[in-house]
Amino acid sequence: MGLHFRSFRSRLVVVFLGLFALIQATGYVAVSAFVRASARHTVEEELRLASTLFARQLDVRTQQLVAATRLLSGDFALKTAVATSDHATTASVLENHRRRVDADVLMLAALDGHIVADTQEPARRGGEFPAPRLLAEAETGRDASDVVAIGRRLHQLAVVPVLAPEPIAWLAAGFAIDDRTAADLRRLSGLHVSFLAGPDAGAVVHASTLGAADRATLARGVAGARASGVLELDSGEHLVRVEPVGRDVVVVLQRPLAEALAPYDRMLLVLLVVAAAGVVLALLGAVLVARRVSRPVLTLARGARRVAAGDFDVTVSVSQRDELGELAMTFNDMVGGLRERERVRDELERTAKLKRFFSPQLADALSAGDESLLASHRRHITVVFCDLRGFTAFAEAADPEDVMRLLHDYHATIGPLVFAQEGTLERFTGDGLMVFFNDPVPCPDPAARAVRMAVAMRDAVAMLLAEWRRRGHALGFGTGIAMGDATIGRIGFEGRFDYAAIGTVTNLSARLCQEARDGQILVSEPVHAEVEALVEAKSIGTLPLRGFARPVTVFDVLGLRTESAAPAATRVTP
Amino acid sequence: MRQAPAALALAAALGLLLPGPAVTDTAGVEAIVKDERGKPVADAVVSLTAPGTATPAPRATAAAIMDQQNKEFVPFVLPVLVGTPVTFPNRDNIRHHVYSFSAAKRFELPLYTGTPGAPVVFDKPGSVVLGCNIHDWMVGHVYVLATPYFARTGEEGRARIAELAPGAYEARVWHPRLKTDTDKTTMPVTVTAGEPAQVTFSVALKPDRRPIRRPGYEGAQGGG
Repeated sequence: MGLHFRSFRSRLVVVFLGLFALIQATGYVAVSAFVRASARHTVEEELRLASTLFARQLDVRTQQLVAATRLLSGDFALKTAVATSDHATTASVLENHRRRVDADVLMLAALDGHIVADTQEPARRGGEFPAPRLLAEAETGRDASDVVAIGRRLHQLAVVPVLAPEPIAWLAAGFAIDDRTAADLRRLSGLHVSFLAGPDAGAVVHASTLGAADRATLARGVAGARASGVLELDSGEHLVRVEPVGRDVVVVLQRPLAEALAPYDRMLLVLLVVAAAGVVLALLGAVLVARRVSRPVLTLARGARRVAAGDFDVTVSVSQRDELGELAMTFNDMVGGLRERERVRDELERTAKLKRFFSPQLADALSAGDESLLASHRRHITVVFCDLRGFTAFAEAADPEDVMRLLHDYHATIGPLVFAQEGTLERFTGDGLMVFFNDPVPCPDPAARAVRMAVAMRDAVAMLLAEWRRRGHALGFGTGIAMGDATIGRIGFEGRFDYAAIGTVTNLSARLCQEARDGQILVSEPVHAEVEALVEAKSIGTLPLRGFARPVTVFDVLGLRTESAAPAATRVTP
Repeated sequence: MRQAPAALALAAALGLLLPGPAVTDTAGVEAIVKDERGKPVADAVVSLTAPGTATPAPRATAAAIMDQQNKEFVPFVLPVLVGTPVTFPNRDNIRHHVYSFSAAKRFELPLYTGTPGAPVVFDKPGSVVLGCNIHDWMVGHVYVLATPYFARTGEEGRARIAELAPGAYEARVWHPRLKTDTDKTTMPVTVTAGEPAQVTFSVALKPDRRPIRRPGYEGAQGGG
């Protein structure tokens, strides 16, 4: 059974599978989109949280830095050195104090804003303080700190006054923000961290965990950037959050989208495998279902083909209780009807055949089943022979049409009488006829039936012959009846069987028929004995008959007694 | 009992202004110092010099006192004649470390209790800012003058200089928070016998913004 696309089964499979695959695909796409959005949302949330923590951490750092710087500024030795304009000592104290707090730079600015001492770059002495705005802010008494570029490096810088006890100078302490700082923050947050200065015009990446190529892209990308979004770097798509950490400095937190999606990708892979497995299972299921659906259809088709070929013994077995089951039931009913009709037709045919030999009643009985009745056996029967006198001469002289018409009328007249007495018609021989009783179905009064039939025939044929006699044909009707054992059975060959009785009794009845004159019904003595009470009969005496060694006692039955006569037959011959 | 020595010291300081035999009772100047909003300014020092007369100022011999009370300098502003020895009695039960990096007088009194043996002689005119190394909020001012005619304004912004010889003087005002670009710090005044001459200064002050406050400070203006 190949999978032809046009077959009902494969179409069913394709539709079923297509629907399932569509559902799976829709589900996959929906889940995938949801997962992507969810992952992005998660990362954005992560970035938001990280930036909040980051800002808080920076605040704390700033406070600590300011506090540390203030602590340093309170040192009396420093004040003394500054107040006495002892430059060498001031620079030395500054370097010493830088080490105390592990700062990256300590600077001292005069009240007028020029640098007095610088631990990082002594040559900067006398120059302008790099963040004059911070000095102005410190003058107002507030905590002054910012992330500013000193030289080419970013520093978190705090400025406090040196009080003696009124301000005599500004002390600035700074912690460098470099790649190491960014790397530290990355270890804490798991995010890429970059510090950019001057994001408005020509951003410069000062510190970052990114590679050189990505830094340049980032600087370009952040120049016109929003607070958050997606940035395409050389190393892939990144979700980005920009947070200001100073007046001119921003920190950029970012995470590769691919990294965030990685766990979801595994999930999607599992989902894909499950979907694929589902499709395979669906295919199997579809094939099974299609087979279940198509099998009864095919069975029905096979059954229909057999019926078309004339085989009515078909029963399709479909166990389903659905429409197909109903169809199969209807089909079976239909075939059953056909079969019944065929059976009836066969039976009718057979019965018609049987009726050649037997009375209609007997034929029916035989056709109902019991063919053993026809098996060879020996039986005591009563045999009736009759024929027309002068028929041979008539047949030679008369027109063939007349001959056939006479025979037709003759048979039509006596045939029903045979059946009326349920006699077995053994054979026609032109004008002759042989009938016997008590076989194949036994009857209680075979002799009486034989005689009654013979009388009825004689009377009926006499009326028929009266007209032919008037036309000048010397025709008569004689009958002989004998009783005795005979061997009975089917004789003949395939295609032409007869039911025949063979024995002396047959010969005797035939001889008696030959002896009978027109209107005579000659019966043997045993027959007469059987029907004595039933008929008026006249003894003929003994007749020498050809084929019989001894003369036979013969009676001529004149007619039936009146109907009041009780039936004499009490003896039943088995 | 703790106030008694302070009162004595004050009396000694004021003793400078007590009437002398050569000047009349009535001749004098009454100065009023206000800020730009017209509010009286306390702790301003108003002094008078006679222009053109290079009369050498008398060298002061009487000592002045700058107390440390309750971790504050008392008074907040101490005007002295040049050459005045000032003692720094510590009236708290902890030690103080008084210093000055001012050009007019640079000195240091390392951690001490009680009254240091030798007073600090302020021998150059100018303003001297006092600090305490262990109490950042402690600020005091010694204003050293070359003229004996001066007075400090009180809470109502008034200062009175008496026992002056009648004549023309130049009045000058100073305050620790005086803006450096203030141009109305001097004005001429004529002293006559009888009614004291009236001088009114309207000065611009820097905001009082001391970075570190004394514990318990509640934001009141001035402070002592």
